[in-house]
Amino acid sequence: MNSTLTGAVAIYLTQVRAELSDLPPGELEDVLQDVTDHLTEVAGEFDAEPTLSDLQVRLGTPRQYADELRTAAGYPARTEPVSQDYLTSGWNALRWGLIAGTVGPFFVAVSIFAWSSDETAFFGLLGLGVLFVAAFLGVRALNGNDPRIVLDTPRGAQWATAVRGWIDQVPPNVRHELVTIGQPVWWVARGMIGAAGFFALFGAISVTVVGAIAGAAVSIWIGRRTQQDRRWLWYVVPLNVVAAVAVPAFLAAAYVGASFGFLDNYNHYRGSGPNYEPPTKGVVVNGTAVSNIYPFDAQGKQVTVRLYDQDGNPISMELQDCATNYGQESRDTTSNLFPQAVVVPDENGYSSPEDCKETTKAPFVPPPAPATRTAPTPVAPSATPTSGATLTVKPTR
Amino acid sequence: MDTSQLLKGVLDLAVLAVLRDADGYGYDVLRRLRAAGLEDVADASVYGTLRRLFQAGALTSYVQPSEEGPHRKYYGLNKTGHDLLARSTKTWNHFADTMSVLLEEEAA
Repeated sequence: MNSTLTGAVAIYLTQVRAELSDLPPGELEDVLQDVTDHLTEVAGEFDAEPTLSDLQVRLGTPRQYADELRTAAGYPARTEPVSQDYLTSGWNALRWGLIAGTVGPFFVAVSIFAWSSDETAFFGLLGLGVLFVAAFLGVRALNGNDPRIVLDTPRGAQWATAVRGWIDQVPPNVRHELVTIGQPVWWVARGMIGAAGFFALFGAISVTVVGAIAGAAVSIWIGRRTQQDRRWLWYVVPLNVVAAVAVPAFLAAAYVGASFGFLDNYNHYRGSGPNYEPPTKGVVVNGTAVSNIYPFDAQGKQVTVRLYDQDGNPISMELQDCATNYGQESRDTTSNLFPQAVVVPDENGYSSPEDCKETTKAPFVPPPAPATRTAPTPVAPSATPTSGATLTVKPTR
Repeated sequence: MDTSQLLKGVLDLAVLAVLRDADGYGYDVLRRLRAAGLEDVADASVYGTLRRLFQAGALTSYVQPSEEGPHRKYYGLNKTGHDLLARSTKTWNHFADTMSVLLEEEAA
């Protein structure tokens, strides 16, 4: 008797319960036990688990079902407090819902197409903030009434009729396919992209993939919850509008490999995020990696030198000559002999293994030798810098 | 004329009739009504009718485990139920006869 219902049957039962909620509690529980038993039997008539629309074809809508039950059981007709208060609540809830569904998504859309990461974060948070606050106020405006009261307001009824008109233009079989196939696909897509976008927004790239999977799961759960508790619509519909903007934007950008707005910012984060490592090997001068050293003597003539640090360790760099670039045999690939030979590209800017040229000539015009100062310590000329550059060697950082 | 409209008036009688010989649970009552030819009967109305007859004291109710599925709530006629069935049958027969005569006169 206490069988636990799942899926569409559970949703149908919840909706019947809502229709009968005005019955005295004891009577309500008894009659719902009957309904539970009945739905269990009806579910058994189907080969597979029935969908909500299967149940509606078989039993009528939950409201029709509840009305039949009510009439046959001799319960009093449903009492609906059609008062001014009630209409005001419905209209307020509807209005907040509209703000949540338009203003919030608008700012989020601005954020997606914004040009800087600061704007993306600002408009993204503003949009989501407006969305959630308006949705919260909308649910609060319901004043504990059933969310369906918005359909009893004149404007709400008018819009509902218009929407139903559009839906009716879709052939029933297409509608059925859209709901049974399209809905789960949509739930997964909006969850993955929503979560991935959220994590990317805050630069947490490493958890984006896990976040996307978790987002899909949360999205499915929210979808199921919303079918049972319609108050979630105040949050879910605006978020769906956001997703309807974001999903195509992401897919289009992924397809054409575009880098604009949000995606550009995303790449920017990727470059300077936690994955970015400053160079820890080689020679660094004022934070910039040095790839070659061209020594000149006091007369401005280029010379060849071997460099050592204060402990006598060679200051070596990776070789960049032809043998390193194209050679087959393994060899010692670092040297402290400067200048190192580098590959000379041909006139088209290319170089090839067959015809590789290299040079040790400085790729710049040597600056004029500085005026020879009256050296205070002529005994140790090597300790006197002969050029203006400050060389710092940082083997690690 | 829509059978479902007629059914509303006589569903009590139909439900009592199918429970006369053997007790049954809700879905079983529904199946017996359909098998007897009342295909238009609405599921929820049958459950509602059982509920009302039970509250009116015409039915007994007990839960019985079933081999293949969940426990089921069976309904059966008690003394009041049998009396109600007998009275309702008389009323129905009288009404049906009257209608038949009326319709024959109209046709003649």
